[in-house]
Amino acid sequence: MIVCVAVVGHQNNPLYLQSFTEADDALKLHHIVHCSLDVIDERVNNPKRSAPTLNETFLGLLYPTENYKVYGYLTNTKVKFIMVTTDLDVKDADARNFFRKFHAAYVDAVSNPFHVPGKKIASRSFGVRVSTIVKSFGSGTTG
Amino acid sequence: MIGVGKAKQYANVLDKPLSRGRQEVSLSAFAFLFSELVQYNQTQVDNIAELERRLEDAGYAVGARVLELLCHREKGNRRETRLLGILSFIHSTVWKVLFGKVADSLEKGTEHEDEYMISEKELLVNRFISVPKDMGAFNCGAFVAGIVKGVLDNAGFPAVVTAHFVPIEGQQRPRTTILIKFAEEVKQVCFV
Repeated sequence: MIVCVAVVGHQNNPLYLQSFTEADDALKLHHIVHCSLDVIDERVNNPKRSAPTLNETFLGLLYPTENYKVYGYLTNTKVKFIMVTTDLDVKDADARNFFRKFHAAYVDAVSNPFHVPGKKIASRSFGVRVSTIVKSFGSGTTG
Repeated sequence: MIGVGKAKQYANVLDKPLSRGRQEVSLSAFAFLFSELVQYNQTQVDNIAELERRLEDAGYAVGARVLELLCHREKGNRRETRLLGILSFIHSTVWKVLFGKVADSLEKGTEHEDEYMISEKELLVNRFISVPKDMGAFNCGAFVAGIVKGVLDNAGFPAVVTAHFVPIEGQQRPRTTILIKFAEEVKQVCFV
């Protein structure tokens, strides 16, 4: 179950933050997203592996907390997508698939000529598409 | 693929997902639109430099979006971190998508380490434009220079990009060269 997705700009400014739980720990989720930005920066600036994985957009599991897992994805414009989930066994392919669809929705939102790059994403239909993608993530492989 | 399989109606046409489309846009429609863009900006400014800057700003917005779109569509999972990589990406992929063909040539500048040039016999945007003599060295290719600048800036390679006419012997119309001069921080990272 995905509890939170976030889009963070290249100066670590939040562009879109959406949580999918009714509980009031939304603030905690935002905090988790914020901490994961540090992990991403570390990964990007100190590559511990050689060239083939250096340019990968999907960053994988960033760090596990007590009951959440945080996945990251970095686009070519240094815009980061963060996904927080409570699932215990998330298949790599599922996460990649999710981010691929999320990237498509993001590209569509940014191509809007009235969207100012660097400002928050204000498109309602982007929110609707993200909710659809998030819902279909939980149901498994068909996505 | 973006937009495939979606049959629902969108209330706002701006919210429709981008489809691949027919890969063809009417050249005359674009030429008219671009000429209006240039004319509109001309009434708003007092001097040539300002006009060039405005066209560049218009192109910058296009470049930012084109980068996002193409990286998602064409490049799959790879990010460009090398200078030569991003330049060849612009020279082939971006040019192909925007103008239907790859750019004529990509050269490295001889005088300075950090200068590169993309040359084109005739820029598509300049096809129906002739610049009057009293405007000096103004080139509507500033729009294309803005696009390149948008792509480079958002990919993490800040640069100053300008468009110039280069007269070539034996040809009536001069060639257009887009000159890319990278900023300090890129020099330190990529040029040791």
